[in-house]
This record gives sequence, C-alpha cells and structure tokens, in this order.
Amino acid sequence: MSDPVIELTDVRLALESKAGRVEILRGVDARIGKGETVGVVGPSGSGKSSLLMVMGGLERASGGTVSALGRDLTALDEDALARFRRDHMGVVFQSFHLIPTMTALENVAAPLELAGDRDAFGKARAELDAVGLSARHDHYPAQLSGGEQQRVALARAAAPRPDILLADEPTGNLDGATGASIMELLFGLHERHGATLVLVTHDPGLADRCQRVIRMADGRIAAGASADAEPQAAA
Amino acid sequence: MSGSTIPTAWTFARRELRGGLRGFRVMLACLALGVAGIAAVGSVVAAINDGLAQEGRKLLGGDAEVQLTYRIATDDERTALSAEGDLSEIFDFRGMARTPDGDSALVQAKAVDDVYPLYGEVVLDPPMPLPEAFATDAEGRPGVVVERVLATRLGLEPGDAVLFGEATMVLSAVLESEPDRAAGGFAFGPRLLLSADALEATKLVGPGTLYETEYRLRLPEDADISAVKDRLLEEFPEAGWRWRDRRNGAPGVARFVERIGAFLTLVGLAALAVGGVGVGASVRAYLDGKTETIATLKTLGADGRLVMWTYLLQIGVLSALGVAIGLVLGAGAPLLAAPILEARLPVPANFGVYWEPLWEAAIYGLLAAFLFALWPLARAREVRAAGLFRDLVAPARQIPRPAYLTAIGLLAFGVAGAAVVFTGQARLAIGFVAGVAAALALLAGAAWAIGVAARGLARTRLGRSSLPLRLALGSVGGPGGETRGAVLALGLGLTVLTAIGLIDHNLRGMVSDQLPERAPAYFFIDIRDDELPGFLDQAEAQPGVTEIETAPMLRGVLTRINGMTAAEWQASGKVDPEFDWVLEGDRGVTYAAAPPEGTEIREGEWWPEDYSGPNLVSFGEEQGKGLGLQLGDQIAVNVLGREITAEIASFRRVEFREMGINFLMVFDQNVLRGAPHVHIATVYGDEPQEGAYLRALARDYPTVTAIRVEDALEVMADALRDIAAAARAGAVATLVTGLVVLIGAAAAGQQRQIYDAAILKTLGAARSGLLGAMSLRSALLGVAASVVALGAGGLAAWAVLTFVMEAPFAFDAVTAGSIVVGGVLATLITGALFALGPLSARPARVLRARE
Repeated sequence: MSDPVIELTDVRLALESKAGRVEILRGVDARIGKGETVGVVGPSGSGKSSLLMVMGGLERASGGTVSALGRDLTALDEDALARFRRDHMGVVFQSFHLIPTMTALENVAAPLELAGDRDAFGKARAELDAVGLSARHDHYPAQLSGGEQQRVALARAAAPRPDILLADEPTGNLDGATGASIMELLFGLHERHGATLVLVTHDPGLADRCQRVIRMADGRIAAGASADAEPQAAA
Repeated sequence: MSGSTIPTAWTFARRELRGGLRGFRVMLACLALGVAGIAAVGSVVAAINDGLAQEGRKLLGGDAEVQLTYRIATDDERTALSAEGDLSEIFDFRGMARTPDGDSALVQAKAVDDVYPLYGEVVLDPPMPLPEAFATDAEGRPGVVVERVLATRLGLEPGDAVLFGEATMVLSAVLESEPDRAAGGFAFGPRLLLSADALEATKLVGPGTLYETEYRLRLPEDADISAVKDRLLEEFPEAGWRWRDRRNGAPGVARFVERIGAFLTLVGLAALAVGGVGVGASVRAYLDGKTETIATLKTLGADGRLVMWTYLLQIGVLSALGVAIGLVLGAGAPLLAAPILEARLPVPANFGVYWEPLWEAAIYGLLAAFLFALWPLARAREVRAAGLFRDLVAPARQIPRPAYLTAIGLLAFGVAGAAVVFTGQARLAIGFVAGVAAALALLAGAAWAIGVAARGLARTRLGRSSLPLRLALGSVGGPGGETRGAVLALGLGLTVLTAIGLIDHNLRGMVSDQLPERAPAYFFIDIRDDELPGFLDQAEAQPGVTEIETAPMLRGVLTRINGMTAAEWQASGKVDPEFDWVLEGDRGVTYAAAPPEGTEIREGEWWPEDYSGPNLVSFGEEQGKGLGLQLGDQIAVNVLGREITAEIASFRRVEFREMGINFLMVFDQNVLRGAPHVHIATVYGDEPQEGAYLRALARDYPTVTAIRVEDALEVMADALRDIAAAARAGAVATLVTGLVVLIGAAAAGQQRQIYDAAILKTLGAARSGLLGAMSLRSALLGVAASVVALGAGGLAAWAVLTFVMEAPFAFDAVTAGSIVVGGVLATLITGALFALGPLSARPARVLRARE
C-alpha cells in the first residue's frame, strides 16, 4: 500500500459528561491509503461518527496519535486544525449544516473564500452546476429540499478539491431515491478528483460500494483496520 | 493563511446581517434608550449654555459688572468705570413691602437708575416704559412695580399705596419680566423695582445695612473685556470688587446647570449600564443560536480569529445602528419639547442640534456596547466544530482568553475615563462608575447564589412537596442565562431607583426634620443700634414669643491672609477647592465678648471678657482648615470698605444647618464696635401667634426686615424638589431600560418555556399548575433582584450622602418597601405577558417540530 493518508495509532477518546466519563474510542488502529474509499459501519454508539471526527480533527483524541497527510493532528491547536481542514478536507454531515443566512452559492463559496481563492464564486457556480443545482444558486437553505441541501453540502465539500472527503451518514435524513442520487454524486466526486473517501453509514449496500469496510463495535475496530489486514473486505 | 481575515469576516458578517434585525430588537432598544437619555441631557445643557452665552449681556444687564457689598463706589472708582463705557448703578437689598392695612411681605428689592436696563427690556402690565412707572403721582408718591405673586399676596392693584421702609409709594404696574433676573443670586422674596431717586426716602439703605451695589458697564463694541477687567482690577486692587462679564453672565446658573447636567449624565450612564446588560444578553442569545453556524464555519476551515471578527463586525454594525437611533431620539426629543422646556426653564435656552453632546453620547454608547458584548463574543470563538456531531462535547472554556479580559478591562476603564473627561467631575464620575461596577458584580454574585440556592431547594422536602414550586425552582436554577440577565437588569435599575429614592428622602428630611426641636420662627435683619432696645422690649412683650437672640451683624470680605492677597493665597495651593467659596464673596461677621451659647472651641482659646489688646478673631473650624489656616495666622477682612486685621485665636465648630445665629468669623468685642452696623435677631415662638406680632413689629419698625424661617426653608425645599424631580426622571429612565431588558430576557426564554410546557402537558400538567409555576418563578426573581437592589442602593445612597453631600443618612422603610413591591410586580407582569405562549402551546405540534 502507498503511504497512508490517514493513520490512527491506539486512538482513545473519552468525554467527561455530567453523567460521568464516557469511553467512546478504546484504542483504535487504522490506516487509510491515498485514493481509497472506506466505509465505516457498526451499531449505534459503536463510535463510528467519533472515529470520523477524530480523523477530521474535529474531535481531539484523548490518547494515541492521529496523522493525516503526514501531519500529526494531535499536535495542532484548534485554529491550526481549522486551517488544515480548509486546505485538505471536505466534510459532509447527515443533517447538512448549511449556514442558514447564506445562499446556496455563498455556502459553496465559503471554504474557497476562507482559503483566499479569488475565483471563489466562479468555482462555486461550477460546483453547484455539477451537482445539478444550476437553478438554485440564489436560494437560501430553508428554500431547498433536503436532497437539494445535501447536494449543496456536497458541492461545498468538494469545491476546494480536498485530499480527503469525510461523510457522516450523508443519506441518513433522506428518502431512498434521493439518498441514492446523493451517493452517486459522492462516488462520482471521488472518481473525478481522486480524493480519499471515508463514509460512515448504516446502509450495508452503501458500505459495499467502498473498497474497504471498517466495522466498529464498542469503541474498537472489529474488522477492516487496514487494507493489508483485510484486503478483500469489500466485494 | 491569507492575511485577509477582516475582509473575509466582513463578507460573512454582511451575509449574516441579511437575516434582519429580529434577534436584536432588545439590543437596539437598550442601546438607543441609554444613548438617547445621555444625548438628551447633554443637548439640553448645551442649549442652556448656548442661551446663557448668547444672552450673557442681557442676563448680566451689561457687558461687565462690578459688585460691591454695603457701600457705594467712591468718586475715583466711578470715574474709572465711566471711562470704560456707559455706567449704570443698581442697589440690591431686602425689605418688607406693606399695605396700609398692615399686611406685609418680604421682597428682594432693586433700586435702579434711569439708564437701567442697559440691555434687554423690562416688561410691565399695563405696558409702559419704566420711567413712566417710576414717575411721582399727583399725591407726590413715587411709582414702584412688583412681581405679580407679590401683588396677589398683598391684594395690590395698580394705583394702590405700597409702604416700603419709611416711604409711601404707589404701585404703577405689575412686573412681568426683567432681563437680568437669572443673574441675581438666591432670592428670598419676589422682586420689587423702584427708582434710585426714591430709595433715600425708604431709609432701607445706609451705613451698616445689608445691601449690594452693582455697577454695570455698556462697553464699546470693539472693547477687549479682558483688558478692561485687568485695567480696573489693577487700579483698585483693594476695593473688594467682584467682577463679572457677559462671557459668563450668570455664573451661578451656569455652574448649577453644569453640575446638574453632570449628575444626570451619570444617572443616564446607569441606564446605559442596564442597557449594556441587555446588550450582553442579546448578543449571548444571538450567538447561542449561531453555535451551529460557527461550528460549520470552523469545519470549513475558519479559525477562531475569523469567527470572532465575523461576529464582532456584526455587533459593531448593530451597535452603531442602536447608537444612531439613540442620537436621533436624544437630539430630537429636546427639540420637540423645546416650547414646554423654554416655558419652564428660568434661563434662556437655545434649542438646536449640538454635536458635542451627541458625540459624547455616541462614545459612551459604543464603549458600553462593546464592553458588554465582548464576553459572549469571546466565548463564541471557543465553539468547537465537534458540536455539529452531537451535544456531548467537552465543554469549551467559560472564561474568555486573557487578551479579551484585558480588552474588557480597558473598555471599562474607557467608560470611566470618558465620564471623568466629559462631566468634569472626577471624584463623582469615578465613584459612580466604580459603584455601578460593584453593583453589577454584587448582582452577578447574587444571581449565581440564587441559582445555587434554587437548585438546592428543589432537592429538599419542601421543593419536592409541590410541582409548581419545583418547576419554578428548576427554571430559576436551571441552565440558560435568563436568571442572571433578569437579576442584573432589574437589580441595577432598582438599585439606582433605591439610591435616588433614599437620597431624596434624606434630603427632604434634612429640611423638615431639623426644624421641630428648636428652630426660630423668624429672623429679623437690619435692626439699627438705636432701634434694638425698643425692638427687643416689644418683641418680648408679644404673646407666644419664648426666646429672642440677637447679635451684631456685619458682612466682610476676607482679603488677605498672612500678608498675601486672597488670590495669591489661593494660587499657593493651600486652599481645598471645596472651600474656595469662603474667599469668593462676603461672609457674615460679628463680635462678642463671651462665646455665643452652644459654641464649641476646638482649638486655641476664647479671649477674656475684659480683653483689650491686639485684634483677635475666632474662625469656623472646618472652613478655616479648608483654607489652610492655623492658629496665630493674620487675616484681613474688608468690612464696609475698611480693612481690619486680626490674629486667629481659636477655631470653633460652626453648624450652619442649625438655624440659630452663627458666623464664620467672630471678632473680639473691641474690633468692630465702632463700625456702623445693624443687628440680627432670631425670635422663637409659637406658630399661631406669628401673624400677630409680625404685623405689630412691621408697623413699628418699617426698616427691619422679617424673614420667616419656614418660607426660607420652602425656597430651599423648592430648589431641592426640582433637583429631585430631575433625578427621579433619570431613575425612571434607568428602570424603563431595565424593563426592556427584562422583557427581552422573558422573550428569549419563551421558546424553552413553550417546549417545557408542551412536555409537562403531555405528562398531564394542568394550565393552572403551569401558570402557578411561572408566576412563582417571576416572584422569586423579583424578590431576589429587589433585595439585592435594596442593599446596593442603600449603600450607594449612604455613600453619596455621607461623602458627597455630608448629610446624615437614615434608611426609609416606605421607600424600600415600595421598591421591593415594584420589582416583584415588574417581573410578575412581564412574566404574565410571556406566559400566554407556553400556556396555549399544543404539545403534539411543539414536540413534533423538534424532531
């Protein structure tokens, strides 16, 4: 396998809550190679989303190391992590999380603007057109359907051409047909731009479209930690 | 990263602002109200100052004026004055105007020459020129004009006889207005105007009697006032002249307006502080609603700085808008109210838009807005991107980073600095800002304690005994910033109201409470030496008179201390500015062989009864120390144009508030006996008899002036009432702002209450139970805020009375009680206004919408 794009070593995550300490990740080791598509599956509360968060630097691991593109994310502060995501990562959420006060076009342009791209809006237009929303540029999120909102979110994640695409149950809030078209777009983006894709999902069918599947159970990886260990997890 | 944080932040901020002002109404209202109050006060003060400046020569009655006490100008002085311009001579004194029936009233009289007034005009009813009004009638009686209030009191009509001093005059017209009224000092009675020619016959002005002369100049247009002043004062350094000119025609009024303006500005700042609490709460609520957006921005790669700037710029734009609304209101309100204000103000005011007070109000407003917004803003930058995935996120830091805490401190410092610079009252301003900060800290601590207590109480058997009580306690102690916002805003509003209420109460008490024990009923002034024995006999013979005290009465100007002129002494820095007044005018002077009854010698010794030797003087202790005097110092006092030097032999305690006879300077019995002088008498007696003996004494001693103590107190009480009314208006403005904040807090909490109510209804709660819980919650908050306000306001009132006004302090249960009741009512009413939504919420709809 080529150099891993994401490498987790003995990653632990524990959160303090008013109800006490909750162990969410209990020593996770995983390697994801460049251009790979990886599905993360497992029952609710098994730590799928947390794993994704840790990979994206959205959550700080309580132990172990997380590196992405050779950078040790555990050594970066909150702002450095934000800049790292800006330059290298795109994230798609189950509940879209578009900024309600921005139009579709502005939402897509936002990460490009953050990166100081002078052609932010030109690129955002092209990206929206690519997800089939040419007629919706100036609509606010509240004026869009769920599927349309998720397409805007996809366009937003893809617009800066990230090295890594992280998607957290992107079809969880959508009906079957809409969800399917979103997945087509997501995999299409991966194919066109060659980004590494990590996809958290409940849907075994979706997971099966990935080159590899990581199975989470009780905060640990039950199977699929690295391509070498289980090369044929996805059939 | 690109160096374009602020432009990018501005782009994002603009987009967010397109969402409209919905979440910001409370913030805008709070800022606008606070700024409007300060701008309005400043605009009115500026209008008055401008009016005073423009009308300076009219108010003063000349371009310049020299005042003398108990003497007229010498020929040399007159020649020098006349050389500068047209000269007018005026006598100002008090006397009794009587009717032939024996009714009498104290008047503030002015005898004027035929060039009076140099500027402006005297308006009479019926209209006529002043010389015509002063003309002698067919019976040889000179004409006189009086203010309407006097004519009414004595039942006088034009053509009626007026006895004044030893002269019989005729009322020719009613005095509607005189141009130079505001420049005069404290008047004890209504105005009576007569001609200087008629003055002699009254025998009211002579050696030893109390009067002032005013020499007014009309200067050529191109005259340099400063040069004229220097020339005259240099030529007559010892004359005891008090100089005034048109540049500040009514210095007393100007000073008064300035002080009241400063005081009201500070009260306005209190309203702004309350508004600031509302700004903070609004910003917090807005940013709480933006958590998802902020987390999303961070996911997309925005760093904390960018997030901070994005929202700082939004708050900046909104603050500017709130301040602008406030400025328009603050500048507009005085303009709209100008006709009413002009009629009520005793001084000319030139209403218009004045930029300086608006600029000052804007600075206060912006400083306050950022001061209170920065804390929630600083916390917003700590929002973590992980918040998007689930609610269970390690909590962000609660206390802002040190840089923000420093900025908050600097802004608070800025507000205090602005208050010092703009009001010019450093001690008052710093004390005030520190007081508000302390009150806010106290209230924040109280809010925290209330939360803790409510949570604790909810777990006790009492708390578990009743569902409404437990719900109320849970709502007070539960998460969400409503409790703190409500307690801070309402509490600070009530604190200001309590402080003002208690100060007002104590000041009124000072006037009335000090009377009953042993206050004289009347002062009689200007009793001549030869009249004294007869006057005393007759007064003592009157039924109801219990006691009479008399003392020789002179007035003198303190001109030199240890060989230095008063001005040099002042310039040497020995004088506490608070006691400048002792050197700035004439003071009461007397002489005595034995210390007057009740005298308390604090330092040095009183002279023996048979003392003969160098001149000695006993000085008021507090005033003497204020001037930097010591035992053995030589002071020179100009009495009736004669300079008398004496050595300070003792310091006495002088309590001017006790109404008996008291003097700043008491000389030994040999010093002034030869000088022409009059006596003052205080008569103690029973109320009902007063009228009778006053009539008798007024008839037999026409040149003796009677001042009814109650009337004199009434004049002071009137002045206090006006100040108190202005202060109360300011306190009410503070409370209104507090109510806006309270309403804002209630509105902000309404969604949560609707959700809670929906769940409780699903569980079987009846509407009455819900209403009970909500009312109980309001009452708990109201009581808590009021109790803290009582403590903080009481402390503030005590501090102001003790340190600023040097007056005794007493707590007043009625004022305090009404404030508690008012606070509870305010929270109950706003609570009830916002109870309707939760009560009528349909559970299924509310809960489904949350899925």
